Amino acid sequence: MATSIEAAVESLREIKSKEPPMWLVPKQELSQAVRAASKHLFSSLKPHSPKSPFDQLLIEGFDAEQIWQQIDLQSQPLLYTLRREVKKFEKNPEEISKLKEAIEGGKKKKVVEEKGTDDIDDDDDDDDDLDMDDDDDYDDDEEEEEKKERGREEESEREGEEMELEGEEKGGIEDKFLKIKELQEYLEEDEAKEYGLKKNKKTKTETKKKEEDTEEEEEGEDEEEEEEEDDDNDEAEEEEDELGLFDGDDEDDEDSLENARYEDFFGTKKNKGPKEKAKSRDRFEGDSGSDDEQDFDKRKDGLSTHEEELKKLQSKIEQMEKANLDPKVWTMRGEVTAAQRQKNSALEVDLDFEHNVRPAPVITEEVTASLEDLIKTRISEGLFDDVQKSRSLSSKAPRETKELDDNKSKKGLAEVYEEEFVQKTDPAAAPLSFSDELKKEASMLFKKLCLKLDALSHFHFTPKPVVEDMSIQTNVPALAMEEIAPMAVSDAAMLAPEEVFAGKGDIKEEAELTRSERKRRRANKKRKFKAEAAKRLAKKPRETTQVDSNEGKENE
Amino acid sequence: MSAEAAATMEIETLPSDPKPASNSLPPKLKFEPLKAHEMSDGRVQFRKVSVPPHRYSPLKKYWMDIYTPIYEQMKIDIRMNLKARKVELKTRSDTPDISNLQKCADFVQAFMLGFDVVDAIALLRMDELYVESFEIKDVKTLRGEHLSRAIGRLSGKGGKTKFAIENATKTRIVIADTKIHILGSFANIKIARDSLCSLILGSPAGKVYSKLRQVSARLAERF
Repeated sequence: MATSIEAAVESLREIKSKEPPMWLVPKQELSQAVRAASKHLFSSLKPHSPKSPFDQLLIEGFDAEQIWQQIDLQSQPLLYTLRREVKKFEKNPEEISKLKEAIEGGKKKKVVEEKGTDDIDDDDDDDDDLDMDDDDDYDDDEEEEEKKERGREEESEREGEEMELEGEEKGGIEDKFLKIKELQEYLEEDEAKEYGLKKNKKTKTETKKKEEDTEEEEEGEDEEEEEEEDDDNDEAEEEEDELGLFDGDDEDDEDSLENARYEDFFGTKKNKGPKEKAKSRDRFEGDSGSDDEQDFDKRKDGLSTHEEELKKLQSKIEQMEKANLDPKVWTMRGEVTAAQRQKNSALEVDLDFEHNVRPAPVITEEVTASLEDLIKTRISEGLFDDVQKSRSLSSKAPRETKELDDNKSKKGLAEVYEEEFVQKTDPAAAPLSFSDELKKEASMLFKKLCLKLDALSHFHFTPKPVVEDMSIQTNVPALAMEEIAPMAVSDAAMLAPEEVFAGKGDIKEEAELTRSERKRRRANKKRKFKAEAAKRLAKKPRETTQVDSNEGKENE
Repeated sequence: MSAEAAATMEIETLPSDPKPASNSLPPKLKFEPLKAHEMSDGRVQFRKVSVPPHRYSPLKKYWMDIYTPIYEQMKIDIRMNLKARKVELKTRSDTPDISNLQKCADFVQAFMLGFDVVDAIALLRMDELYVESFEIKDVKTLRGEHLSRAIGRLSGKGGKTKFAIENATKTRIVIADTKIHILGSFANIKIARDSLCSLILGSPAGKVYSKLRQVSARLAERF
């Protein structure tokens, strides 16, 4: 161990001794020396940084970036603790003297105890310091690396002293985790940070500069950090302000911070809430004006987000109040007639009302094509929606409209009433009415006619089958109906030869008669006539002129 | 004689009745219906119907048709008093019912009004037939040509309107100048009268026909 430390120290001295121009050109031996030195430094710092995952700085095969990362991992928490310790010593310079005494005392115990406190402190400070460190330039130049490492080394040494001191001071009641004094101090510090950070930043940087004169880059970093810190801390502080975390305890510490506390962030007193207003009045009596100016200068660049939000809210509120006070727009007013609104204002508004009419169908090519298809199918099927005449069900037989008879009735009144009476008492025996008689007669005639026509037309005439319910009465002689022989002419029409001619003897035509025969015929005629005339005279014994015309004509 | 008959009738009935018990009333006396001859104390009943001059020759013509049913079936004596120009009707001893006389008288009267014998005969056969007479002036006062036209309307061409009414309502109508006689049953007379009145008042024949058609259809439906 001792040899390694000695080697490290020696390498460091070597590096230090080299002149600056030597660093401009990368050289292998220089880099090796530097790596070795940094490794030693790392391992020496290891006991003070319990959080770092590396026991040793791994050099072989790693490039500058990776080595730097490892160092960074270790050094960051160390930096926090160092800074805190420094602040503490600022407040209480007495303890520095105590430190010296404590160093001579038990080193080891304090180291162990302090590690516990360091944890707590590290956690608290991490939030703030992270912001600062995030923007560090991650240069790959080994020069910067070295310088930082140097700085860290010094810090770590100091830190170690501080830690030992503090460990002795504390009493025996608290255990390593809970230290009330520490807690108190932490709270005060935190609040001071929150509210007085702007003012104290300068002082902080000053202290830092004092401590780390040799490190130019650190200062540069701090300056950058300061500017960025302003913005970052504004947010954090604003948050606290809104929650109203003012405590009475902090008043003592805030003598210097009073002026900047509220107005930095909110500017005018108008925007405060009632609570805050009261508190602020207590505190900002004298210094408000100056603070405003200072703050204004700071905020020239732009309003903070919170202020902007508030501004927006305000404008919105104004708008809404205005809308509420103004008379409503006509669309919001309920029933509005044309006189109560502007001309043509209804056209601009998209009115919604129910249409009772189906919208007219848009005729597109598809629609027409579909229609035509439908028509074609219907025609091919023959499925037309023709209106079919509905036949009324005639349940009743058609009434027989009795026609008025204009003629003199043939029946006497007595017969009329007689008929009526008979019909009432005995409908079946009633004599048929006029219409029935006609009907019967007509049907009879028609049947006769049909029979005759059938006989004329069919060779195989089959008479209508006699159905029981239908009683067909025909006056045709039975003989005609029962004739089997196929005939074209009915036999009934046939006459017997005697019926055709009943006569005897030779029959001669008129032309064939001889003269004597003609004479004979005439003479017979005369004789007959005479005989009849005589008979008649005998019947009627009346005075009639007897005309002997026959006698006159006898001799012909 | 009639008194004796009455007395004998009464006497005959009395002894048949036994003496009733003291509590109950005496039984009703039963009488046979009086014959026509016995009515009005046995005196004969007469009816006399005067004959208007225009019905003289038709009477002569149809005398036998009138006489036969009256004498044979109604059993009423009938004779024509030429001097007085009246038809006289008398009950006989064997006349069954007193109403026969009245019926015959009505029958003869109907003939005198102008009805045919075959129509008037119905009076003899049916009880409920009546004759109603009214004048045109009862319905509406018409003078001169209007009257003539009304009469023409009533009869119609060749009497067809009159016949139409007759056939539809089962009545017989006689239009004698301004007098109108209707023979038929009560309801039918009413219908015929309404039709005639409407004709008198001036409605055309077609309207009357349509109404008659409805009426006749209704009448026919009833049976």
